Amino acid sequence: MTVAKSWATVAAVSSARRAGRDPIALAVSVGFFAIVASVIATLWRTAAHVHGGTVAGYTAVQLTWYLYFAEAAVTALNPRQIELTGDDIASGAVAVDMLRPASVVGIRIATEFGRCVPRLTASAAVGSGLALITGGAPTDSLGLLLAVPSLALAVLCNLAAQHAVAGAAFWVRDARSAWFLYQKLIFLLGAMLIPLEALPHWLHRTAELLPFVTMAYAPARLASGHVEPQLLLLQLGWLVVLIAAAVAVFGAGERRLQLVGG
Amino acid sequence: MRAISATMRAAIAEAWANRSAFWTQLAAMALNDLVWVVFWVLFFGKVGTVAGWDRTRVLLLLATVTTDAGLVLGLLSNARRIGQLLVDGGLDAALALPVRTLPYLLVRRVDAVNVGDVVFGIGLFFLACHPTPERTALYVLGATAGALVLIGFLVLVGSLSFFTGRSEAGDLGFQAVILLASYPVDIFSGATKALLYTAIPAAFVSAVPARLVDHLTVSDLVTLLAAAVVFVALAATTFAIGLRRYTSNALWSRA
Repeated sequence: MTVAKSWATVAAVSSARRAGRDPIALAVSVGFFAIVASVIATLWRTAAHVHGGTVAGYTAVQLTWYLYFAEAAVTALNPRQIELTGDDIASGAVAVDMLRPASVVGIRIATEFGRCVPRLTASAAVGSGLALITGGAPTDSLGLLLAVPSLALAVLCNLAAQHAVAGAAFWVRDARSAWFLYQKLIFLLGAMLIPLEALPHWLHRTAELLPFVTMAYAPARLASGHVEPQLLLLQLGWLVVLIAAAVAVFGAGERRLQLVGG
Repeated sequence: MRAISATMRAAIAEAWANRSAFWTQLAAMALNDLVWVVFWVLFFGKVGTVAGWDRTRVLLLLATVTTDAGLVLGLLSNARRIGQLLVDGGLDAALALPVRTLPYLLVRRVDAVNVGDVVFGIGLFFLACHPTPERTALYVLGATAGALVLIGFLVLVGSLSFFTGRSEAGDLGFQAVILLASYPVDIFSGATKALLYTAIPAAFVSAVPARLVDHLTVSDLVTLLAAAVVFVALAATTFAIGLRRYTSNALWSRA
């Protein structure tokens, strides 16, 4: 194992352990997830019941599983990660990370991924329980099984993209507002609030070309019982692209970073 | 009262001091709200009506909730931070002043982001909710009453930190009431719906005020006003009782 890889592993494992040591904070964030996901799932389930049992090709049960997994994938991350990373860059705190013999962005993504793991695991478990109670059994257990690695890939794609966006702070110093817009892109183009198939045709096609679908739609679609393993390949492909983009942005930014003070 | 209004003027001046940040934040929130309009248009474009709600009614709901929540979270921004202030010891600076503590805390901070909600809500009402003099008067009345319910609820759940020593209940209560108020109340049923009219009064923050604009009934009006009085009274009482047992964590100060 290379030094860089071992740094990343250590960062991920230690941040996961730290996050797991605060059960009350974990319970609050999972409680928040449960409320948000239950509300949006209830809305779509009601819509399906009112309209002959299906909306956009999804039954009420499928929509329920879809929405719990879409929410789990997105709420596992700190929604303001772009702002936090941007602040670290703008304040110069990122310089400390540059002292390590490893990729700055690699360590940061690994650390945040580790921090997300307890939240993601708990949200997926609680979401599955709630989907089972309020919607019913999943329509295809193989799809649900595929949704598990897809959740992890969704979080990784999201983190890589957030770091690529936050890296703009190397140039503009204040990337704080970007998180707001970024979140909304995941809500709609990532199909977190509304399944891709329910979007108008032109928006559906546009969303398919963008990376946001890997962050919510992919695990949600699989969990809803659609056995489409190609979604995992799509996530892997976008993950490579997004990590390359984040590394390139941070690499260019680190070269031009100038700090004043002691 | 003069001290409170002077504090509020200072808070507004503070938020207004950095004009470019003020307008950026205001625009960011308006953009955020616009995404919700897009969502509801797409949703109802696909499903037509749900539980008696259609696109027009939901846009009125959105206009109402952004206005009243924006008023509270924008102009009385500390309403959502009461629990955090108590836990951090941020209350201490306010206790040293010769003013009533709760009103001072509430007016001490203005949040430009949520002022954007108010601007958006008013704009949405006038653009998409068929304003007439009568409907506009009911919208103003409903949003004001909804704002009082929301202040009462936020202060009430925040004040629980006096007794628990932690602020998570306040945070969760805040997130829950705002979220639940943003959706049509009639998609829920049974115990959940009852909850929205009692423990988490989201229905009084959005659905009931919006219903008043569309279809004024005496029972809705009286219930809304009563809810506003009850939540404000409960909040003031809980805060006053909690304040008597408050001991500082001596962090100076984030009020």
